[in-house]
Amino acid sequence: MTNLIRAEMYKLQRNKTFWVILLTVTGLSALLHYLVLIGWWQMQGTSFDAAGLSELNALSTFTVPLFFNLIVSTLAGFFISIEFSQSGIIKNQVISGNKRSHIFMAKFLIFSLGAIVATILIPLVTAIILLFLTGHGDILDTSNLIYLGRSYGLYIVQFLGYTAIIFILAIITDDSGKTIIISILFTIVMYAVEKLSMPPFIEVIYENSIFYQFTEVFKFTMTNGEIIKSILIGIITIIIITLCGVFIFNRKEIK
Amino acid sequence: MSEYILRTNKLTKKYKDDFALENVNVSIKKGEIYGFIGQNGAGKSTLLRLVTGLAFPSSGSIELFGNANLNELTDAQKRMGAIIENPALFLNMSAYENLEVHRLQKGIPGNECIPKTLELVGLADTGKKKAKNFSLGMKQRLGLGIALLSDPELLILDEPTNGLDPMGIVELRELIKKLNREKGLTVLISSHILSELHQVATSFGIIHKGKLLEELTAKELDEKCRQHLRIKVDQPSKGAIVLEDTLSTTDFEVMPDGTMKLYHYLDDVRTVSRALTNNGLVIEHLSQNGDSLESYFTKLVGGAEHD
Repeated sequence: MTNLIRAEMYKLQRNKTFWVILLTVTGLSALLHYLVLIGWWQMQGTSFDAAGLSELNALSTFTVPLFFNLIVSTLAGFFISIEFSQSGIIKNQVISGNKRSHIFMAKFLIFSLGAIVATILIPLVTAIILLFLTGHGDILDTSNLIYLGRSYGLYIVQFLGYTAIIFILAIITDDSGKTIIISILFTIVMYAVEKLSMPPFIEVIYENSIFYQFTEVFKFTMTNGEIIKSILIGIITIIIITLCGVFIFNRKEIK
Repeated sequence: MSEYILRTNKLTKKYKDDFALENVNVSIKKGEIYGFIGQNGAGKSTLLRLVTGLAFPSSGSIELFGNANLNELTDAQKRMGAIIENPALFLNMSAYENLEVHRLQKGIPGNECIPKTLELVGLADTGKKKAKNFSLGMKQRLGLGIALLSDPELLILDEPTNGLDPMGIVELRELIKKLNREKGLTVLISSHILSELHQVATSFGIIHKGKLLEELTAKELDEKCRQHLRIKVDQPSKGAIVLEDTLSTTDFEVMPDGTMKLYHYLDDVRTVSRALTNNGLVIEHLSQNGDSLESYFTKLVGGAEHD
């Protein structure tokens, strides 16, 4: 499987869409953080505000599923789905004599890595750089660093569950456009579930899903029980979705 | 080890109510160039897709390098290279980069194989030119390069001459023959153009509407297609002596039913009939027989349709 991971890495490094996303996110992130830091954009009521890190308020934009889905689904469409449609490159991979489950896992790992870099790492790094450049570096004291480490650690676990969902979608649809559109519809539905009044059993399911955890993990204080629950929700989601994905991919006929 | 590289046993692929393949038994021996002939939609690509693991059979089995279970089959696929339907390329990458991806994927150590393969398929001078700017023929050759990169023992080519110009077709044919001759590469090549396959294949499988109609060697096919005079006389043994002594030819065969196939004197039937009658033989039947490759195929396929 190491071979497959290396091959996927090689492909990601040469994927135009990935670089366009990186540049766009870097530019956008720098702009948003700058606007917040100079006080032009007054954001209030964010988790970072509550943690006393209002200088990092722009980061909350990148943790909203409706927003980060645009990045993740675009990458899924143009890094994963495109291999099934336009060029049929997936054929070569399946013919190469590697197990389909290994092909699936290698693709999932590198796709998730790309999505984490674009959606989490770049906004965080640009935020930290701008904090120092604008003379706010002192807010990153030990307790705040622990908060950021804990929040983003948990957030990444939930985020991997989300990339697994979008990854399966990309494999099922075989088409970049469909992947992006269906994932947008999916996040809108999840947003509606969050905002609208729903039957109790749906609310229970939602509150035990990664979508609820996307905001929960940024709470300034979390009990040990809440942290364990969050980790379990994330890991169980990743395992279930990945197993479903391997099952689907193992039975998928390549056109 | 089995002398067969690839064997299928009652291989069937069904889409809803339609059979794309029905009980197909194909046998390909080591070192053969097996031409798989059939019209568009006959089931050629379906069989190749099943063999390469892109699709799954509805019933029946596949044996590749003597391995038949699913895990072993996947492993055995490492010993094969293939182009199915069209070459699958990263259009934003150069020929070198395309091969590098496949080298990594297959875990081939060292990248010396890449320039060697590019040289082999005539793409050594493409430099950084991206595959999207390649001609159809160049793309086809790059696809072939990908299939050959790991030095496979079995090469599967699905309609490989699509998009190639006449020179490209000749080059491909020569390359296949060379690899077969020098490296003992076994090749399974599909096409709907019989004359094209006839120039390269050593065995043939003829498929029509998902059913394998016939498997035969190139020699058998040539025999069937060779023009001859079909002669039936009242005394076959004497007839053979007349052909040898009077007409001074040994280029004939006596069939089990006493009929003789004479491959000489095709334009001089009178001389043959005169020689036979002058020696007191009664000619019961004398006709010119033999098919062109195309008419043989048409007859076979037409016959299958009437069954």
